[in-house]
Amino acid sequence: MLLLDDAVLARHGQGFGPFDLRVDPGERVALLGPSGAGKSTLLKLMSGDIAPTTGRVLLDGQPVAAMEPRVRARRRAVLPQSHQIAFGLPVELVVSLGRWAGENHDRWVRPALAWARASHLHGRRYDQLSGGEQARVQLARVLAQLADVRGGLLLVDEPLASLDPGLQLELLDTLTGFCRERGHALVAVLHDIQQALNGFDRLVLVRRGQVQADVLAGPAALPALEALFGLRLQALQAPEGGWALSTRRLEAAA
Amino acid sequence: MDAPLDRPVIRWPALPGWPIAFALLAVAIFIAANSGAIKLGLADWQALLNGEDTQGAMVLAQLRLPRVAFALVVGAALGLAGALSQGVFRNPLAEPTLLGIPGGAICAVALMLTVLSAWAGGLPAAWRPFAVPVAALVGAWVMCGLLQGVARLLVPGAVAGLLLAGLALNALAMAVVGLCTYLATDEQLRNLTFWQLGSLALASWPIVFVLGIAVAGALVLSRRWGQALNALALGETVAAQVGVPVVRLRRLLVLALALLSGLAVAWCGLIGFVGLLAPHAARGLVGADARRVLPLAAWFGAMLMLLADTAARTLVVPAELPVGILTALFGAPVLFLLLKRAQRELGGGW
Repeated sequence: MLLLDDAVLARHGQGFGPFDLRVDPGERVALLGPSGAGKSTLLKLMSGDIAPTTGRVLLDGQPVAAMEPRVRARRRAVLPQSHQIAFGLPVELVVSLGRWAGENHDRWVRPALAWARASHLHGRRYDQLSGGEQARVQLARVLAQLADVRGGLLLVDEPLASLDPGLQLELLDTLTGFCRERGHALVAVLHDIQQALNGFDRLVLVRRGQVQADVLAGPAALPALEALFGLRLQALQAPEGGWALSTRRLEAAA
Repeated sequence: MDAPLDRPVIRWPALPGWPIAFALLAVAIFIAANSGAIKLGLADWQALLNGEDTQGAMVLAQLRLPRVAFALVVGAALGLAGALSQGVFRNPLAEPTLLGIPGGAICAVALMLTVLSAWAGGLPAAWRPFAVPVAALVGAWVMCGLLQGVARLLVPGAVAGLLLAGLALNALAMAVVGLCTYLATDEQLRNLTFWQLGSLALASWPIVFVLGIAVAGALVLSRRWGQALNALALGETVAAQVGVPVVRLRRLLVLALALLSGLAVAWCGLIGFVGLLAPHAARGLVGADARRVLPLAAWFGAMLMLLADTAARTLVVPAELPVGILTALFGAPVLFLLLKRAQRELGGGW
């Protein structure tokens, strides 16, 4: 459904790409890489916020940056990294803005807030919430946007960074469950290797503006991750089936 | 957590609120029309309605009512312009006067009245009344465009930066106005000065009608695009991500802003702070939802302007104060309060 075909972006004197990537419906892809590697830029190419300098980025076969905004908003939603809002808008209004391109502006507000574990914030002013609460409201807005669509694309940029660990796992489950039920593809910029390995199908490793590796999430991905971050990783089988990672710096391992 | 304090003071119900607002407006119109050099009363209104030719009815029909109507539409235009510019520039302090948008209008009119006066004098007589508004409109529009460009290039997202950019552009516009004044002949100078002093004394039904159409148009616009304006508060990128055609919307809003602001300047000179106070009062009453703020800002603007103009007409009877002086006198202290609040809400570093 999403196809990056030899997409190159030249920006601020910096080159990104060429990117050749394909994301299928229902797939969960994590973008990993050191800070400044170009993960967010890759996400902006995928969302159509910026058009590639050369090459193509296609959503359902159409160049995504050239799509009619309203049509595009029914196909893909984006959860940005920062959550600044200019005025003290009420929480429920912020969530309903996700429905701008669709029908039933208010029908999905309460369910979306509930999915994002933010029902208690209904009626509050957005600018008076804590960072973690704001992140949850923004998540609800994005969920509302694709709540009644099937086979869409959800792009999230570090959705969980400002949340406490318990909530991180809970919302990651919500996010993946939401996408599974509706056949949405999920592409997430992540920092936590553990979360990427446990919640996603595929890892796209980005370094210096290029895709360094594109691997399935599993023990086989560890060497590529070690090379990407310069870390020594070891998989530890957890009793209940999942697995955990032990992470050390290379020098410490040697 | 001081959340309850900053929530809307009154839960403004969608319908019953407006009858109250219109009732208050009617009372204000009645009081304003009755006060002045000649005191009028209920009897004069009856005479007017019965079509009698008494002096009171004449004063009411030919002087007071056009003046009151003018104050209302100018106030509504200024209030709406303030609310729109806050939305477009995503900035609670972005009042057109502070941003120098009327400055652009004044600059354009000054250029027309002096440098281009030969050309304007050559206009067909029927077109001449439109020359000043059109020049003001173009000036305001160019200023909006410049401001957006400068703010986007130099100081993206900064609250203080936008205001400073407005200050610089305003200074530039005023320099051009000064140059025009310097170059003007005596007669041109008189035209220019008379126009710049500005008051609502020019009130006439055709002007009220034209400005009224602009206000009505802006209200229709705000009804259709109110939710998009709310989305703009999330930032232009996010607004585009939820499907808002941001470029088209911005063009439309800037045009409406220039129209309201430019026309108001063209007919009554520089009147500051109404565009700042009205949206803030509206937001205090109903919260930040643009769909509710815009019409209510128009209402507050109309009421404030009516109050200010009535005061300007009656305080020093039989003379008249320029109304812009009054709004500045009361508006400027309020700006300080808002600055304090903006600092608290946005943090010290802006």
